[in-house]
Amino acid sequence: MISPELIETAAKIIFVFALTLGFFAPVLGWVERKQSAVMQDRIGANRAGVFGFTVIGLLHSLADAIKLVFKEDFTPRGAEKALHTLAPVMAVIPALIAFAVIPFGGQYTLWGHRVNLVVADLDVGLLFVFAISSISTYGVVIAGWASNNNWSLLGGLRASAQMFSYEVAMGLTVIALVMYYQSLSLVEIVAKQENFWHWGIVWHWPAFLLFFSCAIAENKRVPFDAPEAESELVAGYFTEYSGMKFVMFWAAEFIEMVTIAGMCVALFLGGHHIPFVTQAGLAEALGAFGPNGAQVAAMLIGVGVFVFKLILLLALQMAVRWTLPRFRYDQIMKLGWKMILPLSLAWISLTGAAILAGVMPRP
Amino acid sequence: METMLFYLFAGVAVILSLAMIAAKKPVTSAVCLVGVMFALAALFALLHAHLIAALQILVYAGAIMVLFMFVIMLLNLREKEGLAARHQIVAQAAGVALLGALLIPFMTLATLEKGPLSAIAPERFGTTAAVGELLYTEYLLPFEIASALLLAALVGAVALVKIRMR
Amino acid sequence: MAIGIKKVDSNITLTLWERMYAPEIIRGLYITMRHFTVNLWGLALEALGRRDKRKIMTVYYPEETLTPPPAYRGRPVLVRAENGLEKCVACGLCEVACPPKCIKITGGERENGDRYPLTYELDGGRCIFCGFCEEVCPKDAIVMSAEWRELCEYGRARMVYQKEALLYPQRNLQKRINLIRSRYFGVSRYRGKA
Repeated sequence: MISPELIETAAKIIFVFALTLGFFAPVLGWVERKQSAVMQDRIGANRAGVFGFTVIGLLHSLADAIKLVFKEDFTPRGAEKALHTLAPVMAVIPALIAFAVIPFGGQYTLWGHRVNLVVADLDVGLLFVFAISSISTYGVVIAGWASNNNWSLLGGLRASAQMFSYEVAMGLTVIALVMYYQSLSLVEIVAKQENFWHWGIVWHWPAFLLFFSCAIAENKRVPFDAPEAESELVAGYFTEYSGMKFVMFWAAEFIEMVTIAGMCVALFLGGHHIPFVTQAGLAEALGAFGPNGAQVAAMLIGVGVFVFKLILLLALQMAVRWTLPRFRYDQIMKLGWKMILPLSLAWISLTGAAILAGVMPRP
Repeated sequence: METMLFYLFAGVAVILSLAMIAAKKPVTSAVCLVGVMFALAALFALLHAHLIAALQILVYAGAIMVLFMFVIMLLNLREKEGLAARHQIVAQAAGVALLGALLIPFMTLATLEKGPLSAIAPERFGTTAAVGELLYTEYLLPFEIASALLLAALVGAVALVKIRMR
Repeated sequence: MAIGIKKVDSNITLTLWERMYAPEIIRGLYITMRHFTVNLWGLALEALGRRDKRKIMTVYYPEETLTPPPAYRGRPVLVRAENGLEKCVACGLCEVACPPKCIKITGGERENGDRYPLTYELDGGRCIFCGFCEEVCPKDAIVMSAEWRELCEYGRARMVYQKEALLYPQRNLQKRINLIRSRYFGVSRYRGKA
């Protein structure tokens, strides 16, 4: 019953969960505090410690986790109990699922067994990510509705309109890339970016800017955090949440950040590829480790490069979050419908014309 | 395995659609409908129609139902009241029976015309390229008519809002 | 240090370049990332034991404290002159001037005929740190000290300071006294001329 495929899939799922839920979710909480502090000429959290060891504030994440686990799980009076409990689950599950189709490495042959470093190689991978991210709206909307709180309801309303609008724009920004790579499968798109000049960012940097802004809006982070706007709506849709339910919303946000970074890496930054180094060249350079050793080393390097690019994009998201002030709600909608949507349509037409005219050679 | 999964998702779809009709609160109904959409998407995926499955979630569950929720939340609908609500179960059962009775001859006619479908999917079935090719060659006219209809609806919606604003 | 005043034009009309979002966002990102890298380098210097080189001004509060400048209005205190006696003559001007009415004085007289406060009660829970008492005092007997730490208590009754708790030696307050002299007497002289 236990086949190599089963072990491989289990290992990949465990790796993805360890990377997103185990590593990035708590560490991003620390990065958010520390990076913002250093950017604003402050020091940041550094007090939580064990026997005087504070590990530059990293233990604050642990302290937070302990605090939140032991907090009272509170449901307000008049709230829809079942939906109030369901909402955080509906927020966190799409965030966890969406990473499944993002390749975090290439294909390698280990001891005669072919390993494809992606949890699910769907031929509609790109659509799958969009479908799943559109589902994450429900967690927010239902949380806002079920809390029996005016602020929450307003946050939920804002979130549903904002996320819906930016989904449309986000879907259109990547159409040009689909035309360029002629595939909806993220594995295939990454495989076609082996040559540095075929990376998405080289030709499609406007699409990258548009996609990145849409993705941040979809994740409801500053400058698009109108649904939770703490100066207007207390905490928006999760005002009435505490304890582990709050953690789920909080973790969903960070995991979605990782997913956004992963999407950007896969679509625009060449996935696990190193610039100007082909897979064959890499295998040749690692030839000293023997056939299997070279494959293992190439796999480790590929995953390392992917994680490095991931961290780079996460740092960029953090920098954006601590640089820009929040947009007003009507400005968000105006930006989405009147700027990003027409711009992405224009980019699609331009790309189509360039491909037909032969100016933009397809990989 | 696949048969088991089919019955699982089909069962979920049926139970959730019944719950949708029976639910007293509009938001609960909407959540149940989202669940039905998911189960349908899973059924499409079992039929190797991955593109349709993804689009089912993206368009129906992700976009249309979100707008439904938006409207329901804005309208602040209450629980149903009055004579119809008291005899709700009877009315619903009658409706389901009527629809079922209408569907059975329709389905029989459809199978009679084309014959039973083969269980083995042809090569490239359900891939994006195959669906796209079919849409732009064999079914171009229905596709264009549908898009013209959608465009008309869009223009109509904008026009209605503009009239109200003036 | 003087406070820099910068005039800001609030009627901003954006240029086309600014309305394109992206360039200005990149400029903002450049500024924040410049601070980030400079401060990160500063943190590295701190690890090497050279804290003076960095831009971060954060003070680790309970371990380190700041001494506020003389213009800071902390807890109001009574001045104890060099001869060990309070300078207050119990005239009651501060009692009248105090907006929240937190001062209560009962006056007394010494053998040589000097008036002095028998009791002087200042309710720290009601004080609003406005400094009016100091401004009206003809003898510079009550001044705002630089004391700002640990003024909170577990009950309102414990915040009421009696005379003994309020007395402060004059030499610790000399800077503030010099400041208020130059400030308030300067102002009154100006008024007198006009």
